Amino acid sequence: MPVKLLIQLSWRNIWRHRRRNAILVSAIAVAVTGVMLLNTMMRGMQQDLRNTAIENLTGHVKILEPGYLHDPGIERGFDILEGWQNTLPDHVAGWASRIRVPGVIMSERGTRGIQLVGIDPARESISFLGQAEVAGDRLSGPEDSRILIGGLLAEALDTAAGRRLVLVTQGADGRTREAGFRIAGVYRAEIAGLEKAFVFTGLAALQRLLGTDKITEISIRLDDEDRETSTIAALAETFESRAVASWRQLEPQAAAMVEVSDVTIYILFVIVMGALTFGLVNTLVTAVMERLRELGMLRAIGMRPRAVVAQVVVESTVIMAIGVAAGLILAWCVFSFVADGIDLTAFDDSLASFGMRPTFVPVFDIRDVALIAVLSLALSILASFYPARRAVKIKPLEALRR
Amino acid sequence: MERVVECRDVGRTYDDDAVPVHALRNVDFDLAAGEWVSLAGPSGSGKSTLLHVIGGLDQPTAGSVVVDGVEVTALATAQLSDLRLNKIGFVFQAYNLIPVLSALENVEFILQLQGLDRAERRSRSRDALHSLGLADVEHRRPGEMSGGQQQRVAIARAIVTEPVLLLADEPSANLDTSTTRELLEVLQTLNRERGVTILTATHDPMVMGYTSRQVNLRDGKVVRDDS
Ligand SMILES: Nc1ncnc2c1ncn2[C@@H]1O[C@H](COP(=O)(O)OP(=O)(O)OP(=O)(O)O)[C@@H](O)[C@H]1O
Ligand SMILES: [Mg+2]
Repeated sequence: MPVKLLIQLSWRNIWRHRRRNAILVSAIAVAVTGVMLLNTMMRGMQQDLRNTAIENLTGHVKILEPGYLHDPGIERGFDILEGWQNTLPDHVAGWASRIRVPGVIMSERGTRGIQLVGIDPARESISFLGQAEVAGDRLSGPEDSRILIGGLLAEALDTAAGRRLVLVTQGADGRTREAGFRIAGVYRAEIAGLEKAFVFTGLAALQRLLGTDKITEISIRLDDEDRETSTIAALAETFESRAVASWRQLEPQAAAMVEVSDVTIYILFVIVMGALTFGLVNTLVTAVMERLRELGMLRAIGMRPRAVVAQVVVESTVIMAIGVAAGLILAWCVFSFVADGIDLTAFDDSLASFGMRPTFVPVFDIRDVALIAVLSLALSILASFYPARRAVKIKPLEALRR
Repeated sequence: MERVVECRDVGRTYDDDAVPVHALRNVDFDLAAGEWVSLAGPSGSGKSTLLHVIGGLDQPTAGSVVVDGVEVTALATAQLSDLRLNKIGFVFQAYNLIPVLSALENVEFILQLQGLDRAERRSRSRDALHSLGLADVEHRRPGEMSGGQQQRVAIARAIVTEPVLLLADEPSANLDTSTTRELLEVLQTLNRERGVTILTATHDPMVMGYTSRQVNLRDGKVVRDDS
């Protein structure tokens, strides 16, 4: 039996009971809208978590000395070979080499533990620092021996750009280094925690202070996240003796949250749509029972049982497809109102502890649309099993005798 | 003459209940091409059962039924579907048509089941409807037609496939006298001018007046065959 004919028949039969089907279709549409909008929130949150993880000096991939993660320090530094960047694989958007050591910063007002990071400011476009607002000066280059501190740290230490602070850290020889630094500028970060954690200075200047020419990390940002795995494999070859860690390993909490929300999307969809599937089964059974005579007559004039099954399956799929399409369109309309982002500044503090930014940007992912479409198609076929069984069991004679 | 139907010693017993019901008993019945035969007999005499057995809708419990050279009792479900689709035209008492399709679409439907292409379907369905005087109602749905028109559309659908046999079970049961007469005229024309072989089951004496031969059943047996 031609599919076109089946669809035409289903379409008309759906219209024959338009009120009943309109209710079902609306329920499906509302459910799909809800699920899809929640998905955009989830995807937005995931992207936020990922970006935050990547921008807080992690990058997609980081090259470290093995063991640095468990015991960071200057003794786990390594030399960069001349011309190493020529061996970088494709899809690398940028990289930055840094030296990072734990340290203590002091003013007359207080003392704080921080991460002292030596950077080449020109390379930091790959991290949050590239976009950060700075009151005062930025670092001029790797030789700049001034420091850049976060806004919250500046408040805590009651200091400002142009003033001096004392930093204590351990040199390459194991002895303590203590030095005064002038504050070039005070940066602001979207994630408040960063402002308390990182103090930046020029890479070469810090190496000189510590008495080393090594670095402790190379952070790499990719331009295609889907190639993460293959790029990591390529980098692992280039840096044989180093540890090549993805952001997932470096920020396990954020990675776990991204994964959990992935699963949540599936569960949510299955629960909501699963409930509606029962409604669909019910409608289809009703439709079959109403059409007993008609289906019996069709069998009598020579329609094969297979075609009867196909009719029920197609009808189920058509109802589902209309509902899903309407739901997705509705979701897109709602989404386009908030696509630019939702201002969450009112909740800033609690959200920041989750590693989220104050402006929340939902993400309408076409893969979620495909996922919903495929899953609901599967559900509609599943829903038609029982009604279709009922329909093929109709004996033409019994149906005609009624 | 060529035999379209040959029933030999056909029996149909229902034994779902405590007492078995013999709907047909030792029925011998032949139908030659071009005949119009009416099955008559009181209610419960087995008219419908014989019609169904011949049409491949019901399987006899004894004997053999050959339709157009094919032993019907040997066929599986799907083959029976194909037999009904390709060789038999059915007109039932009621509920012949698909309510959501127009008259033309209803007639076309069976050609679609046969897998004919669109152009041929259209022209054959139109021809069938026009030959039965239904040109005006071809775009109406069953609910928008009179009972007589609906039955004529059912006949159009039954003959559009050019079956070897047209089976009609009480086609006029729901129609008034003048509509019945119109319907019978249509069947007569088909029978006489196009040589369609017809088997009708009916209580209606008016129907019997039109047919070329009458077979009477009683308690599942052929009691009179006036050939
Ligand atoms: N599914 C069935 N189960 C049990 N008995 C049946 C069944 N179908 C028919 N019968 C019986 O078989 C006999 C013949 O029935 P059939 O319908 O062929 O009679 P009929 O001549 O067409 O009657 P009517 O004129 O009322 O249509 C009847 O006694 C009927 O009760
Ligand atoms: Mg009967």
